[in-house]
Amino acid sequence: MNFLTKLTLTLSVIFLVTELKAQDLQRKIPSDALVVATLKGKNMLELMSTNEFNQTFLGKKILDKVSRSTKSKVSQVEELGFNLSADFYYYNQGNDSVSYHCLLAPVKNAAKLDELYTSSGLKFNTAGNWRTYYNLDSTELTRWNENTLYFIKGEGKTSYLYPAAQTSIGITDTAAVAIDSTVVDTVAATYDTTEIQEPAVRKTKVTKTKASGAKKKGKVHSKKRKARPVRKKPVQIKEEEADPTEAVAMADSVAAAPAYGMDNGYSQQLALKKRAIAKCVQQKADDFVAKGESTSVLDNKDYVKSIDGHAEISVWIAGLDKLIGGYMPSNRYFDGKSMFKGYGSVVAKLYLEDKNIKIGTAMHFDQDMADIFKKVNKRKLNKKFLQYVNENKLIGYMAYAADTKAYLEAYPKIISRFYGSAYGDEIGMASDLFSLLLDEDAVSKVVKGDGLFIFNGLSQKEVSYKSYEYNEENFETKEVTKTKKETLPDFLLMFSSEDHQLINKLIAYGVKKEFVKNNQGYYELSIPKSPMSLFFALKKDMIFLGSNAEEMAQIAGDRYVAKVSSRHKKMLSNANYAAYFSSKKLAGKIPAEEIGNTAKVEKANKLLNSIGDIYMKSNPIEGNAISGEVSMDIPASQPNALKYLFSLIEEAKK
Amino acid sequence: MKGYLYLFLILVACCCSSCFQIVEEINLSDNGTGTVNLTVNLSQSKTKVASILLLDSVNGYKIPSKQKIQKEMDEVVTYLKNSKGITNVSRKLDLENFIASVSFSFNNISNINNISQNVLKKLKVNAISSSSYSFSAANHVFERNYAHHKEALVQYNKLKPEVKNVFKEATYTSIYRFEVPVSVCTNPLAKVSASKKAVMVRTGMLGLINGKTNISNRITLSK
Repeated sequence: MNFLTKLTLTLSVIFLVTELKAQDLQRKIPSDALVVATLKGKNMLELMSTNEFNQTFLGKKILDKVSRSTKSKVSQVEELGFNLSADFYYYNQGNDSVSYHCLLAPVKNAAKLDELYTSSGLKFNTAGNWRTYYNLDSTELTRWNENTLYFIKGEGKTSYLYPAAQTSIGITDTAAVAIDSTVVDTVAATYDTTEIQEPAVRKTKVTKTKASGAKKKGKVHSKKRKARPVRKKPVQIKEEEADPTEAVAMADSVAAAPAYGMDNGYSQQLALKKRAIAKCVQQKADDFVAKGESTSVLDNKDYVKSIDGHAEISVWIAGLDKLIGGYMPSNRYFDGKSMFKGYGSVVAKLYLEDKNIKIGTAMHFDQDMADIFKKVNKRKLNKKFLQYVNENKLIGYMAYAADTKAYLEAYPKIISRFYGSAYGDEIGMASDLFSLLLDEDAVSKVVKGDGLFIFNGLSQKEVSYKSYEYNEENFETKEVTKTKKETLPDFLLMFSSEDHQLINKLIAYGVKKEFVKNNQGYYELSIPKSPMSLFFALKKDMIFLGSNAEEMAQIAGDRYVAKVSSRHKKMLSNANYAAYFSSKKLAGKIPAEEIGNTAKVEKANKLLNSIGDIYMKSNPIEGNAISGEVSMDIPASQPNALKYLFSLIEEAKK
Repeated sequence: MKGYLYLFLILVACCCSSCFQIVEEINLSDNGTGTVNLTVNLSQSKTKVASILLLDSVNGYKIPSKQKIQKEMDEVVTYLKNSKGITNVSRKLDLENFIASVSFSFNNISNINNISQNVLKKLKVNAISSSSYSFSAANHVFERNYAHHKEALVQYNKLKPEVKNVFKEATYTSIYRFEVPVSVCTNPLAKVSASKKAVMVRTGMLGLINGKTNISNRITLSK
């Protein structure tokens, strides 16, 4: 093997190992994680060096806080001991009693972290190469070694209020529970009975035995509820021995509960609950250290598909249904109904690029919903609309395109999915009736389902109003009419419609009643008590509505001059939803009287000028996912998107 | 479609400035009887008001329908008619220019004490102040004691900025007219007319809400 090949091989092995190591952290995220958020340190560092970050408001805030806590001068984020060029993770998991928030951070220098904790007076214990720090009530735990920092916070869920479960952990005062049901939370961990092997770290043996399930009484928490059958068997957690040699152990919040005479009962209860949560948190932390790589989120195909090396920050949510279900109180009203049924995982990614900031989102659906969406989103914006867009004039626009017929046809199906099995028969009958009475075809001819709203800026109009004048002689009141200028928005709205029968009838009626005037080709609709008039025109398959007479006349007379660049053309032609806003064009157009003093006007204009053009669009449905993106152009003077974001925030703080 | 209309109306409502005027006129005769005319003029904001009336609710506040407004005015009139010493009650409601006014006669100026508070209470508006009036024919002294409610500022601060803006340019004018000339007038904000038979106080609503302006006045009439 020649030298070059050897070198390549060695390099690729090293690369593979480092990649694997980087993947190590991700591998540790459990497969039942509900939310996973990733921050790519390397991508951020490419945009802004640590030195530059140290100088930003955020960097200074962090360093200041750490310096104050350690009572020493920490002047660089690198001194914190993290590997800033790797990936940081947050994930959330939980059962029906406890929700866990976890952070995973790549460590470069554990000794630095040790030093930070020690100089802040925060005691931690060491076992093997793992250090562990507990917060006051042990519901938060931080663990780190040479390459990983793991933080977990356990939160009890307020919706879980089964009294029997509470009794198993020693809570006796169920009356107190009822009074303060929003604050109270309880924990009944539902582990299985297998004994947990002693992890290398802690010498505490924890065994679990299943207590016999008891019938729960639902009277405590909600007036609506009746007695419910046992759903989960409460579990008794027995702690057998704690290693006496450990310097710092889990806090015993029960012992620490203050012995106030007045609310002794309440504090005791709260302390018991906290202790239960602390035990669960400890278990999770031990699992994290001990477990092999059997079930990791990387086994979830959906998650793996969402991994994107280019995104600076990504957030993946596993099935909205599961996430919301975890937090919704399970009661009779919601049983079987779910607004989010059929909605799968959601992904959001932030891209900080050279010329723009982009946030991309995607949502997955099950096959049924995806089919519905495909049909509804089949229609695209009427291409003829582009003949009436002049991007030099407009400040912003909003366009949408959906197939009304497909939507109306799918509507009963969507409703029945929401109500699930709860009202199946009734919904079936209602949807049949709906389909019978509604002629989807006819409706879709009148309102085809696409529209474009263009915001053309602000114009001033003169308006009269009544005021009073008092003669100097005897202050007699005289009513006078004065005028003032008012700023009104200028807009143009157009939508597709093939069947003009109804609107023609409305026009004829309006002309008869004299609030519609026919101005040769277009119509004027006067709004009572308003200086504004609305103008509208009809073409073969389009209806226009606007606030500018001149523009309407041009449209009616086929004299409208359009100007659309390819970027806008593409957005409007392909997306089911598209929006655009140019704040720069708005700057300078806001009249001073609206805002008040000139200083404020200047500040407003400066802010508007510093924000780039904003584009929003939806992408065509791909597979089972609908995606969209919002992007904002960054001014040419800015080096990159991250620095631009920081400068915007610092500017806004002034 | 409805969504676009809503958006447009909100745009209009935001773009228009708004302010209103409250005018209170009291004509006092030598024998202590007199007339009162109270006017609320929203005409300067009529575009905004017109567009707001087309909406159901704005900024979390429910918008009353025109019929409801008329009904409430009628209730105020009924209340006044039933008040002690109050007669000749009439009202004017101009829904084109959004001006509402109520006028009535009184037997004794003390009859009108607490009137405005009670009227406002009927309209479910918290009064920002209370005033008591007195007239001593023997001493020829007309007095208005104005007391500001601290609660007014608390309530005002709870409002959203857009709503607060409405009060920024609002004005309050009170005019007292007498049959004999005025000799002394204690309120520094008050202006006496050329004929000396009328006193006017004009101030911004904001000063009244935050309690910085006091419109108490002790007017001594010439004998």
